[in-house]
Parts: sequence; C-alpha cells; structure tokens
Amino acid sequence: MKVSLFATCLANALYPDIDLTMARILTYLGHTVDVPEGQACCGQIAFNSGYFDDAREVARTLIDSFEHSEIVVGPSGSCIAMIHHYYPTLFENEPAYLKKANDLIHKSYEFTQFVVDVLKTPDLGASYSAKATYHPSCHATRLLSIGDAPLTLMKHIKGLELVPLTEAQLCCGFGGTFSVKMPKLSTAMVAEKAQHVLDSGADLLVGVDMGCLMNISGYLEKINKPVKTMHIIQLLGEGMKS
Amino acid sequence: MTMYDPTVDQRVDKALANDFLRLATRRATDRLRNNRVKAAEELGDWQKWREAGETIRTHVVANLDFYLKQLITQIEKQGGHVHLAKTPAEAVTFVKNIVREHKAKNVIKSKSMISEEIHLNHALEDEGSTVIETDLGEYIIQIAGEPPSHIIVPAMHKTRQQVADLFEPIAGHPLTSDTPTLTRFVRNKMRESFLQGEIGITGCNFAVADTGSIVMVTNEGNGRMVSTLPRVQITLMGMERLVPSFRELDVMLNLLARSATGQKFSSYTTILTPPKQASDPDGPEEFHLVILDHNRSEILGDKTFRPALNCIRCGACFNVCPVYRQIGGHAYGSVYAGPIGAVITPLLENDWYKWGHLPFFSSLCGACSEACPVRLPLHDLLVKLRARKVVGGHTPKIEHQIFKTYRFFFTHEKTLRKALRLGSKLQWPLVRNGRISVGIPPLSNWTNSRTLPKVSPKSFMQMWSELNRN
Amino acid sequence: MTNTNEFISLLASKLGRPTPTQAPEPVAINVPQYRSSTRKDRASLFLDNWHALGGKGMIVKSPEETMQCLKEWFGDQQATWPNKQQAIVAWDMLPTVAEFAFAALEWPLVRYSQEAQSSPDRYSLAAQAELGVTGADWGIALSGTLVVNSSPQRGRAVSLLPPLHLAFIEASKLRDNLFDVLEELTSLGMPPSAIEMISGPSRTSDIEMDLSIGVHGPIEVYVIVIDD
Repeated sequence: MKVSLFATCLANALYPDIDLTMARILTYLGHTVDVPEGQACCGQIAFNSGYFDDAREVARTLIDSFEHSEIVVGPSGSCIAMIHHYYPTLFENEPAYLKKANDLIHKSYEFTQFVVDVLKTPDLGASYSAKATYHPSCHATRLLSIGDAPLTLMKHIKGLELVPLTEAQLCCGFGGTFSVKMPKLSTAMVAEKAQHVLDSGADLLVGVDMGCLMNISGYLEKINKPVKTMHIIQLLGEGMKS
Repeated sequence: MTMYDPTVDQRVDKALANDFLRLATRRATDRLRNNRVKAAEELGDWQKWREAGETIRTHVVANLDFYLKQLITQIEKQGGHVHLAKTPAEAVTFVKNIVREHKAKNVIKSKSMISEEIHLNHALEDEGSTVIETDLGEYIIQIAGEPPSHIIVPAMHKTRQQVADLFEPIAGHPLTSDTPTLTRFVRNKMRESFLQGEIGITGCNFAVADTGSIVMVTNEGNGRMVSTLPRVQITLMGMERLVPSFRELDVMLNLLARSATGQKFSSYTTILTPPKQASDPDGPEEFHLVILDHNRSEILGDKTFRPALNCIRCGACFNVCPVYRQIGGHAYGSVYAGPIGAVITPLLENDWYKWGHLPFFSSLCGACSEACPVRLPLHDLLVKLRARKVVGGHTPKIEHQIFKTYRFFFTHEKTLRKALRLGSKLQWPLVRNGRISVGIPPLSNWTNSRTLPKVSPKSFMQMWSELNRN
Repeated sequence: MTNTNEFISLLASKLGRPTPTQAPEPVAINVPQYRSSTRKDRASLFLDNWHALGGKGMIVKSPEETMQCLKEWFGDQQATWPNKQQAIVAWDMLPTVAEFAFAALEWPLVRYSQEAQSSPDRYSLAAQAELGVTGADWGIALSGTLVVNSSPQRGRAVSLLPPLHLAFIEASKLRDNLFDVLEELTSLGMPPSAIEMISGPSRTSDIEMDLSIGVHGPIEVYVIVIDD
C-alpha cells in the first residue's frame, strides 16, 4: 500500500523521532511511505478555542495536502479524531470541502488502528523489557473509538509487562489550549493522573497521543518523580531494533 | 487575557484549596458513576435505551408547541391553573400572588431546580412566609444559605459535622454527627412542617401532555408529602420537560433513575394528575402549574443548541466530568453546574461577561457525552458555545491575534519550518537540564506546573525532505 | 400575564412553522423489554428485588399463612403499641385474605377515609398510626415496585405517613416491567389523581453519601403477595 504520513504539528516540532519511526515501521511492513508537503496541523487548536474560521483555513490546507493520497496515517488519536469527528461540522456550509473532508475521513487512520484493524499485523516482533501502564487518551477512545488496538500491540511486545492504571478513563487535563487557558484546573487534573501513574508501579507510561503524554510526564518531572514515557510508536521502534 | 468576571478565578482557587470538598466530590461522583454503570448493564442493551431516550426527547422538543398546548388544555380542563412565565421574575410573581391570595404562612417545598433558577425562596421569605426545603440536602443548603453543589446530591460538599452544627441551633440541643441521628432529627422536625403546610411547591421531572399529569421522582418521600398534604399545590416546570403520553415514560424513567443514582427506580415515582377528585380523602384541592421559559424559546429557535433542551437533569455528566471532579459545583458560580450547566447557563442567562467562562470549564474529553442517557453531544455543544463567544466579539483582541498568527504559519508549511528552526535557536533562555522549565505568560501557565520538551533543531518535515533529497 | 396562544405561537415560530393542530405521529420505541418465563419466576423476581431494596416480603397461599406472616412481622411490636385501637390505619377495603387475617387476629383497623371528617384530621390519624395497610394495583418484577392508584376509598397518606407500610398484592397483578403497567394504565382512560410507585423504604444519601433509611416516608416496608 502507499501510505501518506500525517506528521501532526506536535510530533513535527517537538518529537520528530515519532514520525520517523512511524515511517520506518510502515516501510518494514512493506508499504511505500510518503509525506505530502504543505501539511501542518488539523486545526484543532483553533477549533477547540472557538476560532472556527482560523481552524477551517488550517483544515483546508491539510485536506488539500492529502488530496491525492490513498491512505493517511497519523501518530495521534486526537488529530485523526478532529478530522473524523469535527470536519463535518467545520465544513457543514461548504459543500466542496465537505466532500473533500469526507474523502479524507474515509482514508485516514490513527497509527495503532491502522496496524491492528486494517493491516491486521498486531505482532511486529518487538521485544522490550519494562513494566508498562497505558493511558487511553480521551479523543482516541471516545471520539475515534480505537478500542483495544494499542493494548493489542503492547501485548505482542515480548518482555513487556502491562499493569493497570486506576481511573484510566479520566482525562489527564491536557485538552490542548485548555492546559494554558485554565492552568489551575489542568494542573489539578494532571496531578491526579500522575498520582495514578505512580501508584500503578509502572516504570513506563505509554500512550497514543503526545499531547497527553507531554502533559503527564512534564508534571511528573516538575515534581521530581519522573517516569519514563513513550509514545507507542517509540516503544515499538525501540522494541523492533533488537 | 481574561475577558470574564475575575471572581471566577477566585472561586476556582477556593475550591482547589478545599480538601474536603474535593474528597467529597470524588467520593460522591465515583459512587454515583459506578452505580449508573452497574444499573445500565443490568438493564441490558443500554445503547438502545439511550437511542430511544434521544428519539423521544428530540421528538418532544421538535413538537414542543403542540405538546405544551395539549398539556395546558388538559390541566385547565381538569380544573388546574396554568401560569406561563417568560422570565424568572414573572414566575416568582405568579408564586407570590398565589401565596398572598391564600395568606399562607407555611410553604413547604420539595426539590425543584426551577425554584433555584428563579431564586424563589428569598422572594417568598420577603413576603413574610416561612419557606421550608424538605429534601434533606436542600434543607441543609437552605440553612447554610448556599446554592446546590450537585444537581442530585446538593449538599454533598458538607461534612456530617458541619451538618450537625447547622442543625443544632434549630434543635436547641446538641446533636451527634452520625447520619442516623441527623436524619431522625430532620424526620421529626419536618413532620410538623408537613402537617402545617398550607402550600406545597414541587418540581417536575416530566409532565405528560395528553393526561395533564406531573411525574415526580424522589427518594425521601418529601415530594409525596408536599404533593399530598397541603391544600394547594404549586408545581414549577421548565418549559421543555414533557413526554407525549404514559407510553414514553417507561424509557424516560428507566434512563433517569438509572443514570441519576443507579437505582432501578427511585423509592418514589409519583404520577400526579391534580387537583384531587372531589371525593378523594387527600390530595390538593387547588393546583397551579408554573411553566418557565427563561430563554428556552430562544434555545428552541437556535438549531445548533436546540438539543440542549433534551436534557433530563439526571446529573450523569457531573459524575464523569474530570473538571467537576476537581472543583465541585460552586466554582462554576451558576445554579446548574457540571457539563450541562456549562452548556445551558450561558444560553439561559445570555450574559457572556458573567457566564462566558463556563464553556471553558471542560477539557473537551467527551466523558459527559458518553455518559448522557439521552446522548446529548455535550462537549460538542461546549465547543460551539466557544465559537459563539468568539463570533460575538466576547474574547480579547490579543487572542484573535494569536490565532491569526497560528493560521498564517500552519497554512504556510515552508515558513513554519523556518520559524521552528528559529525557535529552536531562541529557546535557550527557557531551557534547564534539556527541558523548557521556565516561561513567560502565557507559556508560564504550562511551565509553572510542567516542563516541556525543547523544539527540535530540525522539524520532521525538514528532516524528511533532506532524507529524500539525499 | 402571557396569553397561552401567544406563548405557543412564539414556540411555533421558533420551530419555523404555524402552530400544529394535529398530534404528531408518536415515535417508534424499540427497546428490549425484560420478560419472565413463568408467573412463579415473576413473583420470585419481584420479591428478590423488593428484598434487595430493604423491604420484607412473603408469598402466602391461605388466610392462615397470612396470619402467620403478620404475627411474625408485627406480633411482638403490636403487643407494645400504646394506642392499639388507632395503631393500624388502612384503606376502606383490603383484599379478602387481608381482611380475614386482621379480623381473626383481632387487630383493629382504622379506616382512613371514614374515621375522620376533614383532611387535617385524617392526616394526624395517619401520622400517629404505627402501621399503614394498603393494597396495590400492580407490582413490577424487574424493579421490585408497587404501583398504587388513589381513589375515594384509598387514601394516599396511608402508605406515606405511618413509619411502617404493609401492602397486599395478588400475584396475578404482578407484571414484568413498567412498560406493561403503563399500557394498562393508559387503557383505563383518565388516570387517578395520584399513582404512587413505591420501590422500597424512604431513603437518602444526602449526608456524605451515607445511605440512611426512613427520612420522611416509611422506615420499613412489607409486602404480602397473595398466591391467587
């Protein structure tokens, strides 16, 4: 298959290794990978803040950049959920782009969803020794319904012990601009999430959205109780090196 | 950067500093949430029930004109009086007039969120009547002079010792703070009030359009007292709280009880068709229904927000909300707290300065929408409210500027690459131990409690095009 | 004062149409309903749920069993009730089995709607009684609920004011779910002024989420299912 990567703004700027590893894994699985130029962001930052016009413009740019792609895969449940869940609203009064948006919806996947549900290759032959816990990000779980795909991938990693996370379904308090606009609420929320991570006894925190992981690990580091944190792609990448 | 009432931040600070409040909120919401999940599973095929709930509510709201007319006609035919209030002030006046006409000194009330919405108690007390909230939780907050902190358990923020301290002056003797003692005190004390009540004021969970009935769901039995013993009954109802007939009640009552408290049904589900029949030995002889609009008709006319009228006030969204969980209800500042309060308060009150913060009391995690028994897309409505606020010009100019800048860079990917490279070079004053740990506003809102990774010297897009060039 | 027509036509205009004069087509409701296989299952599910709510319940086959049951539940207390003549307040007419049992036990029944002339007098009568005895129109097995209609012979306060409430219900009046009860209620035409659906004793969790039984309504609830 020819797969186009959606780098996502956060990984592009702060965690480029995630995008590189995603490209490496998909190539390893026998697919041709390309990264269409012009793509930048799904528009969620502006959309969630109520700036729909700005979000629409950014979304149009994204839609256009993937116009000729067959399959689009991104390393974030939240960004893909933005496309699936909100683009129809964003373009409800713009039939031309609504059609294009629907095309993108039908061909775009979050990485774990793509590997497990579409490619049906849950075992990537990875091995990694750690006691890990998994944070199910809200948008990936509730808006995109990725279900157990990430857990399925993790269960196939040799040497990885999975431990449960109490109140796993609770939001970590990231919420994009929420974390900056409502810093105190956001901090109270991440404090609880961080405590659950510490209580789990895990030495590795895994997730499918770097925004949430950046929030939780950033807090744990600030309180001097750092816990190693990896995007599931980073974990698979490390595990497949051996 | 705020363009809202500064007391919002004070309320949030106060809530976050109140350890008991936060503990109590978690305890109450966890319990109610777990009960709901269990009760939903027991019923089986919960999603089908939710769909039916949504269908019924949407149908009622879409035909509100017909069903309301039918209800009014039916009640008047049965000898009841209907009062249509456009505003909270009008609703208060209707109630006051009835109380005045009967020269009633003792007014007893069961739980009604509409009465909170119109701030009825003080108005009646100013008239010289004694108004007693008879629901235990409402009674506690009435004595404390506070608004409800949860739509189902209004006094859950109070410790039992605080409750004992509130009751003691009324009891006139010391009370131990164990729940049975406190409950028994209220039972005995309230008995007199029930028997002396001249006017009973109730809420209304659903009104049945074709029979002119009022459905009331309670656990303590106070709702039955208030609607059985006084000679006059006044029921307060939000304009949208209807079902077409008995037929739809099965779905609505199952959804309500199971979602609110996780009970199969509440201890008492009462279907009243007042006033009493002439030869009935008990029940009210006179019945008044006050129907409140208070901008609900505006919501009805607004297709984007019309679904907000589908809410059945079960409180399930409170119990899964990670924001409510941290701060409880009072920090919202509104009569209706939680996700549904954040949606309807700005719409009902129509005051962005005072209530514009509410749509931002959410991380948009979607837990509320997932829990809602009538499938309200609450978090979607919150985003749309934010958009309404922006379009209406109620956000600061600087914020518009920030998103214009964002829009520019994220529609010009090549320029963004350069900007990121520049950023990675300029970020060093903020970096400690390889992470961004200090910041100036608004970045400090993040860095005060969290570190941030550095901007990569090369963005992925940059790396990829270099890889491909080689 | 807002005029009804004005109020309604405002709503219609908000909905973008003239006020409809015809009832809209009712919506199709498609939910899976609980169905029990036998009458016996239904009765035992009803009692299981009633017990789970904190109520006491028993199935009786004869007047003798009914007496036995009443003695077991109330015999000791009855002996100590201060005003025995006024201690038990009841509907004007109870199921035959109940009437027979109380008569045989020689436990006097105060008839709520006949004993006093005015409502306030009736209320104090019921408030001072120890036990309220009623029948019931339906029972809901799935939730352990009694459904009780009001009528001139059936005071509403009887199941509300006394600290103990005892209801008699024929097994043939048990239904699987609320839906079935509502269907039958609808077919009766105009509803009575009150339909009380009672699921267990009065309860609250308003103080620190601590469950407390018997706030305003009955503290203990009893049901006798008459196997008819």
